[in-house]
Order: sequence, then C-alpha cells, then structure tokens
Amino acid sequence: MSTPYQIVVCGSIVPDPLQTLEPIATPNGPALKNEMMLPAVLDPWAKHALYEAANLASKQPGSKVYLVSLGPKAKLQQVMMTMAQKVPFELVAIDGSSSGFTEASEVAAALAAAIKAIPGVDLTRLLLFGGWESASRGAGSTLQMVGEQLGIINQFQGVDKLTCNADGTLEVLERIEGGKHQVSKCSCPPAVLGWATGMLPEPPNNPQIGMVNMRSIMPALQKAQPAAVGAQGLSFASVSLPKQQRTTKVIKDMPADEIASEIVAWVSQD
Amino acid sequence: MDTILVLLHTEADGTLAKPALEALGAAAELGGTLVVGLIGKDVQPAADSIASCGAAKYYGVSGDEFAQARYSSDAAAAEAICKEANPTVVIVPATSRWNRVLSGVAHRLGGRVDTHVTGVSRTEGALSAARWYYRQRMEAVVQRTHRPWCIALEAGCHEACAAGAGKATVENVNVILSEAARQTTVTGIKTVAADQQTIRPDAKLLFVTGAGWTKKQPDGKAHVEEAAKIILEFLQHSQASLGGTKSLVDLGGEGQTVLPFMTHLNQIGQTGSTPRHPKGLSTCCHGEEPHVIGWRFVNERRAINLDPNCPWAHGKADVLYVADALQVMSKVNELLAAKK
Amino acid sequence: MTEQVHPTVERQTMDADIVCVGFGPATGGFLTTLSRELVCEDGTAKLESSVAPGLPPQVICYERADDIGFGVSGVVTPGNGIRKSFPDLDLAQIPLAVPVKHEVVLYLLDPLGASRRSALLRCADKAIRALKGILPFEREAFKLPYIPPFLRKDGGLLLSISQFNQWVGTQLLGSGAVQIWPGTPVAQPLFDDNSVIGVRLLDQGTDKQGRPEAGFMPGMDIRAALTVVGDGPVGNVGREIDFHFGMPEGRHKRDWAVGMKMVVNLPEGCPLEPGTVLHTFGYPEPEIFGFLYVYPDNVASLGIFVPSWFDSPVRTSYRYLQHWMMHPYLWQYLEGATLRSWGAKTLEESGKRGEPHLVGNGYARIGEGSGSTNMLTNSGVDEAWITGVQLAEAVVELLKEKKPFTQENLEATYVRRRRSSDLDKQSCIAEKSRDGFGSGLVPGMLGMAATGFTGGMLNIGSEPKQPYKRLPTLADYYKGRIPAEELEQIVRDCTARGVSAHSTLMDRCGWPQIPYDGKLLMSQQDALLLGGKVQAPGGYADHVCFLYPNLCQSCGTKICIEVCSGQAITPGVDGVPQFDREKCIHCGACLWNCATPHPDNPERTVLDFRAGTGGLHSADN
Repeated sequence: MSTPYQIVVCGSIVPDPLQTLEPIATPNGPALKNEMMLPAVLDPWAKHALYEAANLASKQPGSKVYLVSLGPKAKLQQVMMTMAQKVPFELVAIDGSSSGFTEASEVAAALAAAIKAIPGVDLTRLLLFGGWESASRGAGSTLQMVGEQLGIINQFQGVDKLTCNADGTLEVLERIEGGKHQVSKCSCPPAVLGWATGMLPEPPNNPQIGMVNMRSIMPALQKAQPAAVGAQGLSFASVSLPKQQRTTKVIKDMPADEIASEIVAWVSQD
Repeated sequence: MDTILVLLHTEADGTLAKPALEALGAAAELGGTLVVGLIGKDVQPAADSIASCGAAKYYGVSGDEFAQARYSSDAAAAEAICKEANPTVVIVPATSRWNRVLSGVAHRLGGRVDTHVTGVSRTEGALSAARWYYRQRMEAVVQRTHRPWCIALEAGCHEACAAGAGKATVENVNVILSEAARQTTVTGIKTVAADQQTIRPDAKLLFVTGAGWTKKQPDGKAHVEEAAKIILEFLQHSQASLGGTKSLVDLGGEGQTVLPFMTHLNQIGQTGSTPRHPKGLSTCCHGEEPHVIGWRFVNERRAINLDPNCPWAHGKADVLYVADALQVMSKVNELLAAKK
Repeated sequence: MTEQVHPTVERQTMDADIVCVGFGPATGGFLTTLSRELVCEDGTAKLESSVAPGLPPQVICYERADDIGFGVSGVVTPGNGIRKSFPDLDLAQIPLAVPVKHEVVLYLLDPLGASRRSALLRCADKAIRALKGILPFEREAFKLPYIPPFLRKDGGLLLSISQFNQWVGTQLLGSGAVQIWPGTPVAQPLFDDNSVIGVRLLDQGTDKQGRPEAGFMPGMDIRAALTVVGDGPVGNVGREIDFHFGMPEGRHKRDWAVGMKMVVNLPEGCPLEPGTVLHTFGYPEPEIFGFLYVYPDNVASLGIFVPSWFDSPVRTSYRYLQHWMMHPYLWQYLEGATLRSWGAKTLEESGKRGEPHLVGNGYARIGEGSGSTNMLTNSGVDEAWITGVQLAEAVVELLKEKKPFTQENLEATYVRRRRSSDLDKQSCIAEKSRDGFGSGLVPGMLGMAATGFTGGMLNIGSEPKQPYKRLPTLADYYKGRIPAEELEQIVRDCTARGVSAHSTLMDRCGWPQIPYDGKLLMSQQDALLLGGKVQAPGGYADHVCFLYPNLCQSCGTKICIEVCSGQAITPGVDGVPQFDREKCIHCGACLWNCATPHPDNPERTVLDFRAGTGGLHSADN
C-alpha cells in the first residue's frame, strides 16, 4: 500500500556558486556586493531535496510537492526559469531577503507561517524537506526551527537516502562522522529531512513539466506575500574575505623521482 | 555574569570524544559560571573524566533511550538540562549529533543559535563568535543580544580541555519521553569495510583528487583503472583521507567511467565538505575560488598539476609541482612500499 | 563526414503557438511587444491560442545559455527602438545602464614597434609624432578632433546586455504571457516540405558524440505555427534554415569579427566619468578596433574586435586584448584595475548583405542573424530590438485577422514593415560601407567616410571574399620576419606541446611578455576561470564538430586552434584538432575562421557549430 505524502521542500536561492562574492557593509548590516546583479540558483542542497521529493511523489500516488521559497520576487522568478523544467512542483513564494546574513529564526518563522497557510495542508502527512545546510547562511539551523514550529519531532539531517516502506514506516540514512551513515526507522510522518546530496542525478529539462509548472508558478509569484526578515539582536563585528593568497613555490622540470622523494619526505614529517 | 552550559554527549563506549573536550576547553576560557550537561547511556564515567574542569555543576540525562543519536530524545534531554541550568550561553561540540538538534533546542528555549563556529572569545566583556557565511567564503565575527545563545563549536578549533579525572557529582535530570518521541529508532550505523574506507577525519593528510585523473593521458587514452589503483595504494600506504573535486565526483552521474570508490561523501568544496587536516596534497585539480574552499582548513598544502598557472594551486598551495600526477604518485607508492 | 547523431527514437511532441529560438535583444523586442497584446488586464485572453483553446496564444522561447543574462556583451546603442518600447524607461532599474555623455575616437600608435603596419601607416605615424606639439596627441594616442555624425551615439545608452536581458526577461515573465526557458538548446528546426513547423530540442543524456547513454531523454519536438529565429550570428537554427532554403541571390555572410571583452573595476580615483565612450583603432594591429565604456560605480566594459579581414593565420584575441589594455593611453586608466568578468562573442559584420530570407512558411528571422546590424553606424542592438518589434506587430495583425503564418502573409506584414522602416533604409545605405577594409585599414576608413557622407552613393572597395579565401599561409604571413625553418620548428614544438602557436610567434616578433598581476593581467585559463566561469554540463553532445577529419589533417593553418577564445580547441592526435567543451565560451569564432571550405557549399566551412549547453556564467557582461 502506498502512502500519499505532502512533501514541502524549503529552499531559497543563493548566488550562482561560480560567482565571486565580496561582503560590503550597509546601514542594514552586511550584504554582498552587487547582490541584485549576481545570477542566482536554487540552493544546491535544497535542489537535491526537491529532486528527491519529486522522485518520492512519483512513486507514491496522490503525493504532492510544494517548494516554499523565500527570496526577492524578481530573483525567484529568474531561478524558476531553470527549475521549473526539472520536476513537477507547486511554488509557494515569499517575497523577502534571501541574504545569508539574515537570522535563521526569522526566516524559519516566515517559512512556517507560509507552510501553515498552504490550503488543505495536512500536517499528519507532511514530509518537510530542505537542504541540510544552505549555501548562504551555511548554518543548517533553519529547517529544524521550522519543524519545531510545526510540531515535528522526527527530524533527520544530512540525509542521503529515504525509503518509504509499504507499512508506512520510513527508513532514513543520515551522514555522520567519518564517511558513515546512521540508519534510523521512523514509524510514520510527519518528519523533517535535511538532505545532503541524496542519490539522484540532476533530472533532464522536460518542456512539458515546465509548461505545466509555469502556469501555477507565475500566479504564485504574483501572490507572494512580503516577509520582513532581518537579523534582530544579531550584530556583526566584522565580515571579511579570508586571506587566501599564499606564496606558491612553483617547481618545474624536476624529475618525477625527485618530486616523489620530496613528497614522501614531506608526508612522513610530523 | 554568564552561565555557560557545555552540553556533551558520550560516545558508544561511554567516553567523551576530542571535540567534546575542545568545546569544554573553549567554554572554560570564557569566564562566568561553567556548567556541564551530559547525555548518554551512562554519564557518570564521562563526568568523572572531566571532574577537575572547573564546572560548578554537572547535570546528566541518561538511560538506554539517550544512548542513541535521535532528535526527539536528544532535544528533550538538552531542553530539560537547559531548563535546570538556566544558562545564558550553551556551547556544544559541532558533532553530527549536536548539529541535528541544537537549533531546535534554541528555538524551544527562545534563544538563538550559531553553528559551525570556529572560535568564541570575550572582548571587553562581550562574547563574540567567529563563523562562516556563504559556504566558508567569508568569515564573520558576530555578537548577539538574545539569550540563551547556543553555539556549536567546530572540531579542531580549540585546545582540548586537559582537566584531570576525579569524582564528579552529577545531578540527574529526569526526562520522560512521550510516545511520539519514540517514533524514531536508530537501527544501526552503515559503514564501508575498513579496508575500503577512504574518509579518515583524523588523518594527517588530505589527498585531493581532481577530474584530471580520469582524463586522457599523454598517450591519448584514459587510464582510469590504473589511476584508481594508484590512488587506493597511496591511501593505504599513507592512511590519508580522500577528497574529490565536484567535477570528479559528478562524473559518476554522467555515465562516465569513474573511480569506483569515489562518492559524494568524498566531495570537498562548495557543495562538499571542508575537512580539517594538517596537510593537503592536491592532484590533477583545476578549479577556482569556490573549489578551493575544500582545503581552506588545511594547513600545509602542496599540489601536483601539469598547468603551472593552475588557479587551484596558485596563491593557495605552498608548493606546486608541475608534473604528471599519475607518474609522480606511482613513484611515491614505490617509495612508501619500500619504506615498509 | 562526421554526421550529427540523431538517434531514431520515439520523440514526445508538444504544441505551442509560437516558439522562439534564442533570447537576445531581438527576441526581447519581439516578446515585449507581443506580450502586451495577448492578455487583457483581468487576465483573460485577448487573442486565443490555437493549441490550447480558451487560453491566450502559447508563446515559448528557448535559450541555450544557462541563464538569459549569460555570455553576452556591453554595448553603446542609440537606444531609440528600446526607448520607444519603454517610454517611461528608468535606467536606474537596469544595473550598469547609463546615458552616453562623452565620446572620443583615438588612433593608437604602436609604442613597441611590434605591430605590422603598412608603409602608409608608418608615414602617418611619423607625421603625427613629428607634429605632436600641435596635434591632440597624448601617450601615443591621437585623438580625432571630429567624429562623423553617422558614428556618434549622442543621446544613446551604455548597456550591459546581460543586465538588460535580465531586466527585459523579468518584465516578460512578470506579465505571465510568455515563457522563457534558458539552459535549453534547440538542436534543429523541423522542416515539412517548404515549411518550418517547429523545432527539436537537444537530446539529453548522451555521450559527446550524441549517442544515448544512461538517463537518455530524446529532445522533444516543439511544434508551432510560427518559429521565430533570433539565435544570433552563429545560431545553428538560423544556419540550418539558410542551408535548407539557401540565401537570396547575391546575399552571403562573409564579414565577421570576434569581440573579446572584459568588465573591470577601474582603479580607485580613476577620472573617467560614467557615460564615457572611447573607440580606438590602430593598435595592437592596425586592423584591431577597441572600445571602452564607462558604467556607473567605477566599472568599465572594454575590449577589442578582431575582424575577418585581419589577414593573419594566427589571429588571436586574448593576447592582443592584453597588449591593447597596456597601451600607454589606456593603461593610464587601467593600471590597478581588477577583472570582474570576461567573455567573447562573434559579430556578424555583413549587415544588409548577409540578410537571409526573412520569412518563409512558418518562420521569421529577426536580429543580428537576419542581417539587421548597421555596418556604417556600428550599431546592432537597437536594430535587432526593432526587428523584433516589427515582427511582433505583424504577428498580432495576423493573429487578429486569424490568418496563418505563411510566407505570403509574413511578407505582407513583417517584411513590409521592415522594408518601409528607417532601419532598412539606413541598412541599405550601410550595405557597402565596409568594403574598403578588404584592402586594408586606410581604404576601409576612407570607404566608411565616403559611404557615410554620401548617404551610400559612393562606396569604396569590392564585394568581400569568404574569410578562408583571404587567409595567407603562415610562411607568407611571416615572410621577412621569421625564417621558414624556424617558423616550422615553432609550429612543430607548439603542436607537440598541445598548444596554439600564436603566443610563441608573437614573442618572436617582438611583443613583450605580459607581466601577469593576477588582477587584470592573467593567463587565458585564469581569465576563463575567474572572469568567464565557464560551465559545461555533461550529458550532451559536443557542439563543435570537425566534419571532415581528413580535411583538417591536411589543413596548413589550423586557425581554429589559434583563434579559439577559450583555448578549447587544441592540436590533437593525427593532426585533427580536438575540442574540450569545458573551456568553450560559445563565441563561435571557430565557425567562420575555419580555413577549409565545405565540399558541398563554398559559403560554409568544415567546422560545424551546433547547439550546445553551458558556456559563460558571468552576468555583468
């Protein structure tokens, strides 16, 4: 027997990882230089979570995937152009800052409120997905707080695999130290799953999925509620780029044997 | 004055791991009242092992239910200890177990949380935490007005507390788990066989491999099997931990012949891990700033690459050997084998 | 011949009313105009779709790059057409946009003595230097005291097309009337007898030859009553249509250029005002033109154009760009600048002469690939935009009258509009304005002046030849400068090392080494990684293809290797160049630089430039 789930994926947008980032100070706290000009992508780990959600939904008839995303409306729209052809989902857009310098608890409150407001949402069938960390705040703390606000105490982080058994139980593989996985069994939803890389490849672009998604994405963006997320009570004494410039000694034309001896000597030193 | 609660969990054998002692060491230097909270099957031996750390009080939540790393029970235990200790600051070691629950606990307490913190300090009485944003691409020093302030301190960022053993008095905090909190059970740990394990967090050396290992060699052909053999042999000899660049790890998803032992768990950098090792050797890598994040916390760095201008290495490595890594590493293996 | 692999598989089909290929200024103009006529303010359909009854026409645009703002360029444009589409245009809404304030044209002399200058130019240089006390001469640059009106961009705009595209895209998507899908290359047009009936998207999950692999997903067929081709100068859909239907009598695309540019943060205290435009010519080689546009916040876009009439078989852009930046006149502003982004693009420089059949049954051509660029005024963006607007007006007219998109109907609406517009008139005047450059810089400049001042009545020069017909051999090009034996040795060494030869040859001819500073001056691969951020997602076929490896083997110049903007084409085994997609920035220079004509079509070369994913990821170009 398959269980239909309501899978809510929380995922915001982050600057395309290839861009050069530089912090600047503004009257509202730190920000990224040229932030609005930087091309954005869906947060990489949240993206994995979305693919896992879609894959699960396709195997559990009756399931539905929502992507709840907080970010500046124009940027969300831009990112949807690349995401909407990937997998079917319904967008819940929240218009606000996607900066990494905002406070996780404020973001969590906005996300939780948006999830509670999804028409027909059934918290007993809810699987709350997201990335185990974002590529912006990089803290891995928002999702737990959203879960707490929705009263979910089955929570998993660093998830690489979720198996939904026929008896309704969930088996979860979480990353732990030393390249190992902790295996847990959870008797029933709701549950929070912060995904690591997962097991799925990037789905190909599917124009038909895109066409269908876009019909609901555009109204969702138009309906996006503004959310004032900031960083109350948090102050930044400094934000700086690490000094990564080292003096590199370039050794050319040294025979492989000699290089090998040097490396062995270096590796063996304490 | 701050009450600083250090929350620690015991390991499977009842001891405290190094990251736990490091968190304790960092907290002890901050001044204020130090309190220790312990969670595990039996916490008394662990408390005794740090009896002279200067803690004013030890709280413990113990029992079979708390042996396993499970959100519901760990959060309930941490919440209960916090309610007893009433701390202004909570410090935990950033283990996978604490990372899973700390922000949920902070939420329950009405506090705030910072994770992946690399240093805590006090300047002119004010507590500051250093942490990273945008995937280790920029470092910030933050202060907060909300209390309690919950902090997860990364491993390897502070000296371990050298407190001697003794007899500690642990005040047991009774936590009764609801039925719902028992819905999840940890059924085991999945690990690859020891001889196939390539991720070794405590290794002295991080060996980073790039996509070049699978590319065409000077003879116009790829030698993936040979590359795999050389890499594994080196790992075996050197006991290094293996990291892979995103492009190498991603090759697996594109149907190309790849190194069979290389998984996303090995991936370092922007969407991978940022491991800490005293030394790092990168081979056949090319990439730019985001990828370099992978060895941000590696102290001594050397690289082997055919491109003398390789931006992965330039300005980031201490030494760059312009050479064929396959050739050099097979020689290295010969030398290491001979040494044994 | 290396055929394009099209696995015979069942393909899914999707129906749309209009499918557009490529999102640039032309498609921007088309969609902006069209989207305003599709939906009423209350969201109901103004016009009805023929494939989704009850809904407005389904309009889809596919763009191959990973984002609609990637891999394009900074421009100075009159902006008249753009302003007409947006009467309330607030430039502050578009990052890096600024009105043109100050234009300067500079003739750059050669401070190093390394460039190849004709006797005439050397005399001119001597004269300028002799009279430098009385001429506007500063730091080896002669400032032209007068800019002809046809070259001036008074009241125009400086735009980053990346940012402009993103802004237009945002407006369009916000309207909800059209869909734009980046990261989705179109493999080919779909033909049915004499009609274009839609497009086929690129297969996904293939190996580099296009053969199915794990996760294979055949490219979908998108059928549409109208296919709008706006895929630029080297777009494969436009070229396929040209091959299929042929070019109109007397029309061909033989004049090209590669523009390589950087966006830089100018050094602090740089006195250049936003809105300043510098045009240069004369250096690093007389045939190479340069530009520097100053944006707000101390940011500048700068670069060079290397044209197809620069008859060097080792013409490169990157190293010349560095020497150009280091010219004393420019270096006074650029020393201490930092690279933000870098890229390159092909420019179709045939203008009106390269105009293909603008319409046919089921398709219409707009933008640069439709020959809209004005070669006299050096203006293309606004013109491209206007062609899009004209097509949209025509499409609305036909939709309202419920007339099909036949060649006849499109002729009567779109082509009629285009022919009666000022754009076409100006384009006709400009048609032969550059013919003089076929004989060199001086005849070229005189030719432009003649055309410009006589309104096209007087032109200098003759019809251009195909680029491959102009190209001298290496030995001829370096005659008198490098002994034949040494030249052969240099080429052999470079081939053995798997690298292009131009840099070594430039060293040999007296060009100094570039002093890398890691900020602005860096190796080409560093520029690729730091400034270009090139991506090449797997699972797609290679888009650069050597059609006849045997002909490549016997090619003497292998200029594709020398000209490649990303060093993605390198010497390969058995003398056939090899292509590395991970370095390709999709500039398309290899396509028209190829020195070997196609056995079946003299207007084509044996290097094919097909649909491909990835490329640059810089958004402030």
